[in-house]
Amino acid sequence: MGSSILRIVILIAVIVLATWGAHEVRDALNLQIRPDNEQQVHRMIMFGAVAYIGLLALPFVPGAEIGIAMLAAFGPAIAPLIYVCTVASMILAYTAGRFLPIAVLQRFLATLRMHRAADLVARAAPLSGDDRVAMLLDGQSARAIQMAVRYRYVALALAVNTPGNSIIGGGGGIMLMAGLSGIFSPLTTIATIALAVSPVPLAVAFFGLRF
Amino acid sequence: MPQILQIAAIAVATLGTGAATMTVMNEDIPDLQVPEGAWESAGALDGRTFTVLGTDAESGAVLEDELIFREGTFQSTDCEEYCNFGWSDYQTKDVDGVIHFTATALCPDAPHTVVWYGQIDGDTITFDVTWTTRRWYWTNQMMLEGSGTASDFDAATAVTG
Repeated sequence: MGSSILRIVILIAVIVLATWGAHEVRDALNLQIRPDNEQQVHRMIMFGAVAYIGLLALPFVPGAEIGIAMLAAFGPAIAPLIYVCTVASMILAYTAGRFLPIAVLQRFLATLRMHRAADLVARAAPLSGDDRVAMLLDGQSARAIQMAVRYRYVALALAVNTPGNSIIGGGGGIMLMAGLSGIFSPLTTIATIALAVSPVPLAVAFFGLRF
Repeated sequence: MPQILQIAAIAVATLGTGAATMTVMNEDIPDLQVPEGAWESAGALDGRTFTVLGTDAESGAVLEDELIFREGTFQSTDCEEYCNFGWSDYQTKDVDGVIHFTATALCPDAPHTVVWYGQIDGDTITFDVTWTTRRWYWTNQMMLEGSGTASDFDAATAVTG
């Protein structure tokens, strides 16, 4: 209990420090967009967007901070771009996972010493997507797991939005695993992610949330 | 379906989501609204030049500029520093002896649109201007207002060519 509170306090402290840092960077750059610097700002935004997509798609890389820094620096006007880049990044990770051989996932879990999960993947590997869902829903799984699999798109949306999810791979890692699992259909996944990552950009764009 | 087609389909769906988002969320900021009226392209200000100071209403930045009218066209020498706008057609109308003018300058190399609207009373000029940049991901606008006085046309055109 005590360590959980400590972790939450540390997490809040990190967020506060990151926010303060972003404001300091913005003030230091004095980011007034004027005719004489608009072209440079444009290049900076494009570079930041590409870096954001690439880094956020990587497992265990906290790329979301780049998006938050851009929101802090440029305000609500940049929210649509951040939203689109976030969706693109998540789908990039999902696509990479979906078309990687499932054996890669098995080896990855084994490397992390998650042997039960690796065994599960090994059993699921030869099955079709529907059969994998049926296998996961079979009596051997815990009720919570059954719920998570049955309502897997809701679980996916919650997982990518959970603060501190970088511990389990971050948004990129979660989406990579979702793709590798083969039980998430592309169109529903895109729709799920499009909804799941919308709260922060929408809050910035329409409700004036500031960082 | 072959993998390559699945990847292409996912890419198209993602791009479609992005394009739809940008269409809905990227709000345009209109250019400076110039009043309707009997605007004419008669070159009424040809041969005149004004040295002006403009102030950015948001940042308070002050910009020095020279506005030149010749052969039915208009140029801001300061704007030329940032983009090769060249010479833009201008229009005028006479309202109780005060000449109102408007001009729209388009940057050929970047999505900048600069709209001018001003009044010239004798040798003094007042004006409003919007510099709007429409990128695919956002629209940014700078609004300025300023004033100035007539200056030497030959000296100004000798510099700008």
